[in-house]
Amino acid sequence: MKRTIPLIVGFIIGVVMIGEFFIPHYRYRAMTAEFLEWGLILGAGAFILGLVNLVQVNLPKVQRRETDWQYKAAMLVALVITLIVGFAAGESRQADGQTFKWIYDYAFTPLNATMFALLAFYIASAAFRAFRARNMEATVLLAAAILVMIARVPIGESIPVIGDYLPQFMNWIMDVPNTAARRAIFIGAALGAIATGLRVILGMERSHLGGGES
Amino acid sequence: MRNALIRFQNMDRRWIFLGMALSIMIPLLYPINFPFKVDQRVQAIYDRIEELEAGDTVFISADFDPASRPELEPFYRANLHHLFAKDVKIVMGSLWPYAPPMVRPWLDNIAKEHGKVEGEDYAFLGFKAGNELAIKLFADDLVKAFPSDASGKKTAELPVMKGFRSLKDFGLIISVSAGFPGTKEYVLQVQGQYGLEIASATTAVSAPDYVPYYKSKQLFGLSGGMPGSAQYEKLVFADYRDDPGLSKAKEMAGPAQSVLNMGHLFIVLLIVCGNVAFFLTRTPKED
Repeated sequence: MKRTIPLIVGFIIGVVMIGEFFIPHYRYRAMTAEFLEWGLILGAGAFILGLVNLVQVNLPKVQRRETDWQYKAAMLVALVITLIVGFAAGESRQADGQTFKWIYDYAFTPLNATMFALLAFYIASAAFRAFRARNMEATVLLAAAILVMIARVPIGESIPVIGDYLPQFMNWIMDVPNTAARRAIFIGAALGAIATGLRVILGMERSHLGGGES
Repeated sequence: MRNALIRFQNMDRRWIFLGMALSIMIPLLYPINFPFKVDQRVQAIYDRIEELEAGDTVFISADFDPASRPELEPFYRANLHHLFAKDVKIVMGSLWPYAPPMVRPWLDNIAKEHGKVEGEDYAFLGFKAGNELAIKLFADDLVKAFPSDASGKKTAELPVMKGFRSLKDFGLIISVSAGFPGTKEYVLQVQGQYGLEIASATTAVSAPDYVPYYKSKQLFGLSGGMPGSAQYEKLVFADYRDDPGLSKAKEMAGPAQSVLNMGHLFIVLLIVCGNVAFFLTRTPKED
């Protein structure tokens, strides 16, 4: 029963939502919009689950003083402070002068930007070590990468003689080989998603219900 | 000589980090700008917005965070200036929780510079959780997805929302997207089903993913990374420089391209030198 009811609910919702593509009647749309709204509420509820999970996973590690427990403690303290400050400020938390906005502007924003900016350094290091023309495939990849990197920036367009042709060649790489490869990947992934979706709707795929049995 | 080349290939990565840091800092202090052309994908966004008439309304989905700010903020700002200068109305929402505290003040400030009134000329609906589900609901019933705007006013009662109930009522949708959920999910979930006109401004790393959607006309325009933003800025500032709303505005991505120039050159130089050293030190066994 614990599995049968979720399977029936999944089947009904799945079939109704697929039907939305074929039945453009406004009453049907109103019904699917209702289902979507339920989904959004569940999605918002997932934030609470995430919060509980974060505490459940990290708090015991801090208590046991496991490796890098200090980072986890800092994360939990930041979490609690942000949560309290956000709730205390209510609807006006994003207004200038609010502590929540200050945390966003002067803690979250620089940290988030720094993490992403570090990529430039690691990519440079990884490109130097890994990009070697060891065989034909690697050489083609290498040549394409260098051409795109140079053609993407204004200095590429300013190179005498070839500067005018570089952007055209880059666009060809993007439009033809890149598009062909990505379409193949997209179509393959889409077929896989359709198959998985059908298996879930028809109750053949049950791993999402838990219990280890699929 | 051979030993020196082998040592070069195995050099401490901190030297690379130092070189990269200098490649970024020197052009920031002493910018050298090169002229650049506008790509047809970016031109398509500009041209389509030029076709809009005063009073038209567009929906902007601002789905990015501070990490992608250098690439997307210039496009976002130039796009708002472009739309407001043409007296086009804007309704904005976000699928990213990190976006509203960042993008809303920009929207409010730029609207103020153009003398626009919140609720009448633009609305910021805020963040909505749910990823693809939220996009589907936007397309079916935007007012249901956002019963109130970010200021707490009822969405259905906002003058800017008069006659607009769902995404398909908007002439144009602009997705300023740094990843999931964003442009790809708009295309997959709603573009085909509702026949929506969508343009995307995205990060350089995501742009190649979206080229197939541009080629199949599922996106009518595509701006990739800082170069795309710089090109769009160039078009807007060339035509609207004299607009009073742009009197305080300045180009952001264009001047920053000198950093990209040096950064890309440094990486290309590293790759080329690394390969030269590799070939000169290669033993016959490795052939």
